[in-house]
Amino acid sequence: MNHDEIKVVVQEKFLSSERVTALLCDAKVFHPEWVKKDRLLAIVEYGDEKAVFCLFSSCYPPKTFTDLSIEIILPIDNSFKCEIDNKPSDPEAILYLNLQSRLSKYKFEIQMTPRVDNFVDDLFRGIEAVNKIPTQPEFVWLKKYSVKNDDQTIAESIMLPKSNMHNTAPVAIRESLIKRKMSDKELEYTFTKNFTVFCGTWNVNDKSPVIPLKGWLSVDQEPPDIYAIGFQELDLSKETFLFDQTMREDEWYCAVLNYIDKRAKYIKVEKVRLVGMLLIVLIKEKHFQNVRNVICDTVGTGIMGKMGNKGGVAIRFDFHNTSICFVNSHLAAHVEEFERRNQDFRDICNRTRFVQIDQQPKSIKDHDHIYWLGDLNYRITEMDPITVKKLVSENNFKPVLEWDQLKQQHNNKNVFSGYTEGPITFKPTYKYDPGTDNWDSSEKHRAPAWCDRIFWKGDTITQLAYRSHPSLNISDHKPVSAIFSSRIKIIDEEKYRRVYEEVIKQLDKLENELIPQVKVDITEVDFGTVKYLELQVRTITIKNIGKLPVEFEFINKLDETQFCKEWLIVEPYKKCICADETCEIQLKVLINKTSACKMNAGTDKLYDILVLHLYGGKDIFITVNGTYQRSCFGCSIEVLVKLNMPIREVPVGKLIELENKRDQAVSNQSTYSIPKEIWFLVDHIYLHGLKEPNLFEQPGLHSEVLQIRDWLDSGSIDPIPGSIHSVAEALLLLLESTVDPIIPYNLQSICLKASANYLQCRQIIMELPEFRKNVFLYLCEFLQEALQHSSENGLDSKTLSTLFGAIFLRDNPNLVQEPQSRINKQIIDKKKAQFVYHFLVNDHSDLMFSR
Amino acid sequence: MAREFDHLFKLLIIGDSGVGKSCLLLRFADNTFSGSYITTIGVDFKIRTLEINGERVKLQIWDTAGQERFRTITSTYYRGTHGVIVVYDVTNGESFANVKRWLHEIEQNCDVVNKVLVGNKNDCPSRKVVVTEDAQRFANQMNIPLFETSAKENINVEEMFLTITKMVLRSKLEMKERQNVTSNDTVHLKKAHKTKKKCC
Repeated sequence: MNHDEIKVVVQEKFLSSERVTALLCDAKVFHPEWVKKDRLLAIVEYGDEKAVFCLFSSCYPPKTFTDLSIEIILPIDNSFKCEIDNKPSDPEAILYLNLQSRLSKYKFEIQMTPRVDNFVDDLFRGIEAVNKIPTQPEFVWLKKYSVKNDDQTIAESIMLPKSNMHNTAPVAIRESLIKRKMSDKELEYTFTKNFTVFCGTWNVNDKSPVIPLKGWLSVDQEPPDIYAIGFQELDLSKETFLFDQTMREDEWYCAVLNYIDKRAKYIKVEKVRLVGMLLIVLIKEKHFQNVRNVICDTVGTGIMGKMGNKGGVAIRFDFHNTSICFVNSHLAAHVEEFERRNQDFRDICNRTRFVQIDQQPKSIKDHDHIYWLGDLNYRITEMDPITVKKLVSENNFKPVLEWDQLKQQHNNKNVFSGYTEGPITFKPTYKYDPGTDNWDSSEKHRAPAWCDRIFWKGDTITQLAYRSHPSLNISDHKPVSAIFSSRIKIIDEEKYRRVYEEVIKQLDKLENELIPQVKVDITEVDFGTVKYLELQVRTITIKNIGKLPVEFEFINKLDETQFCKEWLIVEPYKKCICADETCEIQLKVLINKTSACKMNAGTDKLYDILVLHLYGGKDIFITVNGTYQRSCFGCSIEVLVKLNMPIREVPVGKLIELENKRDQAVSNQSTYSIPKEIWFLVDHIYLHGLKEPNLFEQPGLHSEVLQIRDWLDSGSIDPIPGSIHSVAEALLLLLESTVDPIIPYNLQSICLKASANYLQCRQIIMELPEFRKNVFLYLCEFLQEALQHSSENGLDSKTLSTLFGAIFLRDNPNLVQEPQSRINKQIIDKKKAQFVYHFLVNDHSDLMFSR
Repeated sequence: MAREFDHLFKLLIIGDSGVGKSCLLLRFADNTFSGSYITTIGVDFKIRTLEINGERVKLQIWDTAGQERFRTITSTYYRGTHGVIVVYDVTNGESFANVKRWLHEIEQNCDVVNKVLVGNKNDCPSRKVVVTEDAQRFANQMNIPLFETSAKENINVEEMFLTITKMVLRSKLEMKERQNVTSNDTVHLKKAHKTKKKCC
């Protein structure tokens, strides 16, 4: 088949409007899972659009378009790339073609032939053309050729337990199981260390940092490990409010960097601002490498519950193995609005979302350590400002704090539930005349209040200091700060790895335990001696010893179309067994004439290995064997006439040899005219049964037929066992079991054509091979004899000719027959009967023994 | 990113019946050992996940029946295998002699595949008949790494599986690299192709 003929076949795979413009044979596709078998590459054109098709052919070269299946489609569009390179070691013979379109990329190995040039030229023409047109082609015509996805194609050819490997759900489960187990075992691979955390908050009341901040940020004995500094009312201008833009952020950020403790080097973790609220988190440079997953979020709870004039900003990160969250908030103002402040707190809690790629978003509460600072705006109620000022001036805070809204709300668990605040030992931080330490002298004469506060939540946090810094007086608020000693969990890498491996092993073990497991009680099934037409049954039991239901199926071995030999029946061959349940499988052996012929000829033996496959699991091999006791049934007539001893006494090898050479005339060997087994049976009926009513019509007993079989095979000198009917049935079965029918298959149609003409039929019989002619005429002679006694045995020539017509002119089972219509079959059966009929009613003794 | 593994490799354990293939697998996958001998009638597999240089490798390890009569059937399981572990029994000279046949079997059924040779049951010096030197010489000749292991005493099992896994991983990464290198060359060659066309 030449290239152009193949092209014609490929073209048939497509519509006539889709033209195959170039074709490459012998292309090998590189795919880790695909067989490196030859494929066809075709460029197909439809209108202005072109695409490269990779086709697989079930036979090579493809005979018809149905042999071809489309594996890959690469539309030639703007994304299409073609790259060619040759194998360095073999520059002449092999080329590699890399084709890429959209998200698919394939590599093909092609033989360097002159056609490659044509193909590549056509390909580049296509690429050039598509790059010239301004609009992207749509390739609607390709949609009908949608290709099965890769995995499916692979799965068909590969015996990997797919369910275990390509499912996505268990992956997710496994992932989260690892996380869960690792967090359960955290103590095993972490140790703890204390770090100091500085939290500061200041409502700067729209001021720029015109004074040093040292007195707030750098007053402790040791520089803190972490700084979290929050500002409110950084900028009260309309622009900031509406457009969220301000210069002040940088001003204050620089001021912070200027005035933090200079004894240590710090590095920014993150800073986040919403309108006037700014939160800056810094960490000592040496710790920065242990900071991961830094995320921030902002929540506005101001005007309409959304705007950023009030609300909170938050930064979270993981420090070593501890998750930390800082929140800076500015809650609703006005004395009487404490409920609103509570609500703002709840809103910030509910609406803050730290979104991470491929992970569930975290909220504030999902952290080991939480620090919440800010202008929380809670006031002093039920105590007149003069008393407050008096008590405060005496540093007698306790009675005043009893009327602090935040303390009250906190105690009632209306806000900051689960959080802690340290004892307040500093003067209220609000409201002062800016630039002084004097209480508000404006018209409103606002009462002093502890608006600026710091709360924390977390088991291993200890507050070391909580104070205000009154000397920083540019605002109407005073800054507040707190120092914490926080215990951080640190991973011991070595221990972590060990624990991790342990967890992985555990999960692997779990996964292995979930692989289907069964116990089969017998994997070698021995049927012992098996005789012709004698059904033998063995049972094997499969027990599901795994944890999940298991589905089993007997599967075909490579290159075989059936999972077992034809003489074996397996029931059930496929079933689902629940955990701890068992299933019995029956294996039945029955040697019928087809398999007996093969056994006699040595082309088959009683041996088979079955593959019991568990879905998602292992395969178990079950060996079946037995010894077939050879019988005259299933032999050919040519062999039977040569056997001058009972068949059981014939060595197996000898019988196989005879069967394989049956067409060769064995000259100097004494042969019978007809098989002795046929003679025994016929003679018995002739002597004892010609007058038997319903001869050949009443069935015999199966058990007696089997006894007769043994009698024939063993050459017994006892009289034939069983009734006449059983002998008659054994005769019919024997005649039916011969390898070929008495009139060979190739003569059947000639016989049917000649059936109306006795002379023609005679001619055919005369030309039959000798032994077949003998058997045929002998039997007809016998049947004529039987018809003499029709008054007793009730036989008539019509019935007999129909019965024996079907036997003498047996249909070839190996011929694939067109479905015969019933009428057609009736006609054929009639012709067969007609053929035999001639020999039942005419005298043809002249043909006999005409040697 | 949620991912179960970066690489999935199929390993195959072959060798004569009774050399301890199933025991090696059991030791590696479940870290257990059973002294009672149950012959494998079929093919079984277990999984194990390893982390190599930060990459998660999932191994699916197939254990095959070693009996002669199953050989034609088991050979069909070689398909898609990335690495083969050929096992003999250091106390059984015949099983070592048969290694050649098993290697031949691999050649017949796999394309390019990584192999290790494993002398199992290396835990009783008095019963050892396949001396290390002979095995090592043969392994060198075949250019296959040799491991003498004991599934029973858990000697060298982990190391052996780790080695074959690393070999398979390295092959995969090398192949990827080669592909990258060749695709870098291609621009060049594509131009060459075009200029050639103009010349003609």
